[in-house]
Amino acid sequence: MLVMDIDRREEKGGAARRETAESKSRVMGSWTPLAGDALLDRLRVTGRPRPLADPDRTARLRETIERGLAQGTVANQGGPRDQSPSPTPLVITKDRLTRALSPGVHHDAIGFGVQPPTTPMACGALIDVLFRQLVTIGSIGDPMSDGLAALALDDRQAHLIAWIDSLSGTERGTLAAEVDRQSIALVNRWPTLDPAWLPRTQLPIRVDVAAGAVELSGRVDLAIGRPGLNVASVAIVEVKSGTRRPEHRKDLHFYALIETLRSPAPPFVVATYYTRTGELDIDPVSDELLAAAARRTVAGARALGQVAEGAAPSRLPDQQCGKSAVLPGCRPGRQRVTADIGGYRR
Amino acid sequence: MRAHELTAAILAPPLAPIGHGDRQLVRHNLTNAIPAMVENLPLGDQVVVTLAMLRQVARDPAALSRPEEPFAWKPAFVRRSLGLSAMDACINHRFSSPTEAVGPIADQAVSEWSRTGWRTFHWEPWIAALHPAARSAVMAEAATWATTLWSSIDWHRFDSPLGLGGPDDQWVCTAARTVRLKGRSELQVPLEATHGGGAESTALVSVAAGIPRTGWETELGFLALVASLRSPSRPVPSRVVGLWPDAGQYRSVDITSGVLTAAGDRVIACIGAVVDARMSMVV
Repeated sequence: MLVMDIDRREEKGGAARRETAESKSRVMGSWTPLAGDALLDRLRVTGRPRPLADPDRTARLRETIERGLAQGTVANQGGPRDQSPSPTPLVITKDRLTRALSPGVHHDAIGFGVQPPTTPMACGALIDVLFRQLVTIGSIGDPMSDGLAALALDDRQAHLIAWIDSLSGTERGTLAAEVDRQSIALVNRWPTLDPAWLPRTQLPIRVDVAAGAVELSGRVDLAIGRPGLNVASVAIVEVKSGTRRPEHRKDLHFYALIETLRSPAPPFVVATYYTRTGELDIDPVSDELLAAAARRTVAGARALGQVAEGAAPSRLPDQQCGKSAVLPGCRPGRQRVTADIGGYRR
Repeated sequence: MRAHELTAAILAPPLAPIGHGDRQLVRHNLTNAIPAMVENLPLGDQVVVTLAMLRQVARDPAALSRPEEPFAWKPAFVRRSLGLSAMDACINHRFSSPTEAVGPIADQAVSEWSRTGWRTFHWEPWIAALHPAARSAVMAEAATWATTLWSSIDWHRFDSPLGLGGPDDQWVCTAARTVRLKGRSELQVPLEATHGGGAESTALVSVAAGIPRTGWETELGFLALVASLRSPSRPVPSRVVGLWPDAGQYRSVDITSGVLTAAGDRVIACIGAVVDARMSMVV
């Protein structure tokens, strides 16, 4: 309740402050990343009315997904709605969805295979745990030491830590410099969150649809606000250490969809925070956004379902090739990556 | 899932307690079936049946044949005890939210262990040896777990003192090889007796990751079964409520003799699967 009261009280004033801050930036002719209270205001004051809890909305979204899945092969994996869920659902995550909907469906689109580590991937993993640390205890010590210590607790990161250990002094220095730079900016800009706003980090969210044949699953970097109220009160934030990509917004819309299906009310906002630049992409959650996310999820689930059924994935190379676990054995993918690198160098 | 709905489901008036004869019958079924099932296991072997194992047998029976990984502490193993302790501190108004509470509670536990050697939670030495950043990751895990549970329930509606965590219910079946049933619930909530006699009545609340799956009734019933076997003089819990925060769902089962019997049958099937898997590895 406290969260809502604060948010409503500051709705008007926050909007005014935001406009002032943005106008100032424009007047000065340069863009300055938001920090502290201004960043928090930008996050919680969307300028739109917050959605209300609406069981009909949830039912409509579920129906959109289930009707769409029924036209493909995916729904056949489960039984009728009143039966128990299938024990082996098709699990859809944001990454699988994006890979499935890329122009070239990759062989590993349906898997959770370990991707070959890269410097950006290592930086992202380190910034993720450092962000969690900052939200939890309010400070970061030596970023590389702290990040590696936190990563070491996660068995799934063992290969990444081994890869970082294997880097040359120069490569490791480059990684450490970037992690340091982003961490300092994060500490300087990220606002302190009142514990009463119930911050949850690395929050698992999931729902099953189509009688358990499909499971939509995510892990949210940060959720703030009390769930289960009549008015949307939860904000979802993803942290990215790399450059902006269009699919990042879609990732967040997918999370908004899951949250809407599992909670009485949708989140009122989803946001991506870019630690490299301090950019904050905000999407107020609306019925249109959720409907589009549901349609995209259906399309992705059907593509994944087809691959799961044995349909040969296409070999059209695209920008996802560099992340593919089967890249070493995929000639078109290797050619694409080589061409990308060549283009970048030129 | 709304907090007031879940709380109302926990506090709903209980059914009449299960009769002594029905309890005895379930116990009799178990003590009759189990010894013969485990007698061929290697000497010194033992079977421990938990809720997690019941679920594993139903969903991933092949895992029974894989070698067990040696135990190593992880944040996920600490979050429950640290999280429940943080919630207890919030219920007692020492802190306003689990996020505030986890750090001081962890520090207090570690310093208490350093001073006395007494380990309330068992993870104190592990936490004490961690890098501060790794310790913050453990706290973050506990804070998120506890905050989710904290915001799922309307705590003001509980009039009587709650049990949070506490020791597992355990029952050991007399057999040539030790068979131990262990039941663990996160909350034990006293219920108002509405039936004749005014006997004490309890609802157990169990928190699980993931999504409720087929067989959730007997899985929740298992917790009441172990409580019933452990202490025949105490009433069987009237209700077990399962909470799946990841999915925003809960399920409630009122404990009848049918539920207890089904849970007992599930235990017997589980032990059978475990014994088969172990014997196949021996051969």
